[in-house]
Amino acid sequence: MLYRVIDRADVPSLVAALMERYEVVAPVRRGEKYVFAAVSDFDEIELDYPSTVASPKKYLMPAIQTLFEFDTAANDVTDYVDEVRLRVLFGVHACDINGIMNLNSVFNDARYPDPYYAAHRAATLIVGVSCMPSEHCFCNLMDSEEARPGYDLFLNAIGDKFLVSIGSVTAANILEAACDVREATDADRIAFRAATRARQEAFNPAIPDIQEIPMLMDAFHEDGFWDELGGRCLSCNACANVCPTCYCFDIRDTLDPGAKTGRRERVWDACTSPQFAMVAGGHNFRSAPAQRVRHRMYHKLNGFLATHDRSLCVGCGRCAVACKVDISPIEVLRFFERKGAEDAE
Amino acid sequence: MTDAPRAPRVVFAGLASCFGCQINITNIEEHLLAVLGQIDLAYWQLTSSAPMPDEFDVAVVEGAVTTEEAARTVRRLRERARTVIAIGACAATGGIPGMAAGDIAGHAAAVYGESTPAACGSLRAPAPVSAVIDVDFTVPCCPVDPFDFVRVLDAALYGSNRLAATSALCGECSRNEGGCLYARGQMCLGLVTRAGCGARCPALGRACNGCAGLSPDANVGAARAFAASRGHVPERFDEALQMFNAVALAAAGKE
Repeated sequence: MLYRVIDRADVPSLVAALMERYEVVAPVRRGEKYVFAAVSDFDEIELDYPSTVASPKKYLMPAIQTLFEFDTAANDVTDYVDEVRLRVLFGVHACDINGIMNLNSVFNDARYPDPYYAAHRAATLIVGVSCMPSEHCFCNLMDSEEARPGYDLFLNAIGDKFLVSIGSVTAANILEAACDVREATDADRIAFRAATRARQEAFNPAIPDIQEIPMLMDAFHEDGFWDELGGRCLSCNACANVCPTCYCFDIRDTLDPGAKTGRRERVWDACTSPQFAMVAGGHNFRSAPAQRVRHRMYHKLNGFLATHDRSLCVGCGRCAVACKVDISPIEVLRFFERKGAEDAE
Repeated sequence: MTDAPRAPRVVFAGLASCFGCQINITNIEEHLLAVLGQIDLAYWQLTSSAPMPDEFDVAVVEGAVTTEEAARTVRRLRERARTVIAIGACAATGGIPGMAAGDIAGHAAAVYGESTPAACGSLRAPAPVSAVIDVDFTVPCCPVDPFDFVRVLDAALYGSNRLAATSALCGECSRNEGGCLYARGQMCLGLVTRAGCGARCPALGRACNGCAGLSPDANVGAARAFAASRGHVPERFDEALQMFNAVALAAAGKE
């Protein structure tokens, strides 16, 4: 990895340079919250944001994506018409970059490569930015506190400068043309280590660090805890909609008025949706909310790990904010902590 | 040479409602002729005083069943139509007329005094169309989204691979990323209301009033508890739900 240093004051020049070729999507303020949205000026960007309501996933797998269009009169199909823009996701936190890495491993799987996802991903540069944890952050417990690969640039804040990790030639060229780029000094590296340590010490201590989560998930599969969570689940899918790594979808046809033409669309779906596991004939394999909540947590904390060697949950904490009834992986970790305390008695 | 297939014959029936859903269908404007071009629109009181034909394929019903005469009308529609589509909150949930379901006699007396005029017909507790006959498709909301109606009409005519989902509205609202109205002190019924409308009202800063109907998977108890934790007493929550969901709540209460 190549590291360079730029002044914080140089970041507007970097954004302006990116804007020459790319649509720049970045965190912006909306009311009391922050969202990822396209910006036209650096001043719209809030680089020191805690988190966004929903993840940047929406730019790689849109909530509604047209796969092809059809014309019934002409008996004709037009393949993949979704607009793919050259885009920069600017100001992405490490958890979300790790989330995108998880999406990559699903959609770029060599056995079933997904051309729709790949088209958006290939047209997207990612510029990460370091952050300080807020109340619901637990990326440190999900091995997602650092983005290792997965970005073109990563801006590590060190005072009034950024130590920039460079991940691609394309981005390096833009950076060098736009900014006063220096070699990192020993002082910069010391400042970086200090910033990292400050972040590590700032995580919410009330979120327990649990070892052997997959084993515990299996051990407590039948515990009444899941009925507690299911008993208060609203079946709204807010958790999945804000999640950076929920990637399930449904496919449906939508006709235009008059029904002569239409589109086949891929739309977000989620295992928390009551109909998700319903099959032909009407049987629902997970008809109860407790089964659906448990399934979601298993996939996030256990199942994905078995096939992809890392937790699907990246600890961004968005679901914990979005859920009205306190259902999130944090509650699962707390449950395991309680069980551990009982065992110790 | 055989004749071209006959266009499906469609009739519209209006029961107790404001007719706003039928009016709203005309708001598809430039698409109206394309939609009408697929069907033989054989009866629509809003456009013609010709009587309802004896034979038809699809019956579209707006409004709640509030009289014995209306109940007979929908039974007759069911006997003749291959497909029945209920449109709008009144037909789907009992809607606004449904608020009187608990005490129709008392409400009639409050309005008309001792003798209800004959023109009212033979009153009965307001109910959704599905309480009287089997309904094949429902287009929810007050008023319906006209494009939602067109989509459902197409599903009735040609079939559809779209599943009717029952998730609650909060999820759709979270996609809009506008923030939760509870954080602004408002009481919102998106916690229990069926998704599908795109959470447009909350996106405009107005709390959901439940016009799409209670989701069959609604967790009303947990929603009440959450609203209470934000300072909205359960009585207020239930009262707000009465506007569009009085019939469903009364049925749930009897179980």
